[in-house]
Amino acid sequence: MDALYNILDNLYHMTAFSDIIAANGTFIIMYLLAFVLLYLGIVKHFEPLLLIPIAFGVLIANFPGGEMGVYQADEAGCIRDAAGNVLAENIWEMSLPAIAHELGLMNFLYYMLIKTGFLPPVIFMGVGALTDFGPMLRNLKLAIFGAAAQLGIFAVLLVAVGSGFFTIKEAAALGIIGGADGPTAIFTTIKLAPHLLAPIAIAAYSYMALVPVIIPLVVKLLCSKKELMINMKEQDKLFPPKNKMKNEKIIKIIFPIAVTTIVALLVPSAVSLIGMLMFGNLLKEIGSDTARLFDTISNAVMNTCTVFLGLCVGATMTVQAFLNWTTIGIVVGGFFAFGLSIASGICMVKVWNCFSKKKINPLIGATGLSAVPMASRVCNLISTQYDPKNHVLNYCMSSNVAGVIGSAVAAGVLISFLQNTTF
Amino acid sequence: MITNDIFGALQLMAVGMLTVFCILIIVILLGTLLIKLVNKYAPEEVQAKKPVAAANNAVAAIDATTKAVIDATVAQITGGKGRVAKITKL
Repeated sequence: MDALYNILDNLYHMTAFSDIIAANGTFIIMYLLAFVLLYLGIVKHFEPLLLIPIAFGVLIANFPGGEMGVYQADEAGCIRDAAGNVLAENIWEMSLPAIAHELGLMNFLYYMLIKTGFLPPVIFMGVGALTDFGPMLRNLKLAIFGAAAQLGIFAVLLVAVGSGFFTIKEAAALGIIGGADGPTAIFTTIKLAPHLLAPIAIAAYSYMALVPVIIPLVVKLLCSKKELMINMKEQDKLFPPKNKMKNEKIIKIIFPIAVTTIVALLVPSAVSLIGMLMFGNLLKEIGSDTARLFDTISNAVMNTCTVFLGLCVGATMTVQAFLNWTTIGIVVGGFFAFGLSIASGICMVKVWNCFSKKKINPLIGATGLSAVPMASRVCNLISTQYDPKNHVLNYCMSSNVAGVIGSAVAAGVLISFLQNTTF
Repeated sequence: MITNDIFGALQLMAVGMLTVFCILIIVILLGTLLIKLVNKYAPEEVQAKKPVAAANNAVAAIDATTKAVIDATVAQITGGKGRVAKITKL
């Protein structure tokens, strides 16, 4: 009888039932969240390439007994479990095999790939390979709206700090959601507030997926029908651009090299993002000589990185890291950062139109945040609703691509100012 | 403490927005300069424009909106390098 009891007891402890009964039940909330994210990714097709790995990361990180959740180290590098027991005295002195052995696979991946800041710049390299700077070079003046649209980042940073709810580093990580650029948001958060990585990544990618909802909402609030019917092609006929490219290929090859050099001189902390973006773009623009490299970084490398980034970010979403008021603050603040970025781009176009003879459709300002190319596609759709012949896609892509550079520069400024401060 | 942080945030806002504007203005100026220099010293554009002209008659039967959509799709997929040579109805 005792032998049978022992066997059943061993079986009970082998399965997860003992851990489920010992757990306090909050993991079910995380499970529901994972299912919601999976639903959004699989059924609603909201950023499926990232939301599905993130959701699955949440799923495997929160199952009791699975030991797949990522533990966040405190400033001294000490790692504790939910009960406060010390798991590692100083993770920064541990070797990667020791992390893998003592803290599990997900912690190994997280501390090797995410915490080192490795993945976001590599993904940026892939983004660069998929970005065409042609529309921006053809409409260079419109790139300035990519700068205006970064106001949301700093406005939300200011409000978040003023609320007293966030430290200045946390507020900066929250504000960068307004840049509408996933890798930039993750990179900045890793540097400034790594304990907020999960909610910020989720908020950033969720709002990017909601661009088709948020942009029309802000545009309806701020733009008149007359403004939305401004036809950019007609404006180009009335006021033709002065500099037409006669040799686009050469310009597109020199451009990424020149921009990297300028950014490296002025904001060196943004080089890891801008440099990789431009390197990817350069490989694309060179053409057949680097076609194999271009193919690798825009497919194999980028997809591999996306898988591990998604899984690791999902695995940081444990009960103790996610279920708190800070997460709600991030969700609300992120929305305002996003909305303000769109609004500030639109407002700058309106100011521009007051002083310029050549009128600009305010939708071009709305695409000043990143979210390439979805923001441009959404704005093109809005403009064609008012005038079926008014295609603004190419013009929007100019400020949209400039927004990628703008948000990376903003991230560089935040990191260089705050990384070593004790605010 | 919060007052210090607000002051820091205001400072960041001023420096950040100024830097972003400066960088993008420099990018615009740099791009303009590049275009001018390349137009002056290496203006030749290697593009197969003839097939497009030749294809115009064949395309005439297709309405302008459909052609614009096909052109835009080809331009996006090929990164602006591809040209529509011929459009035939299947």
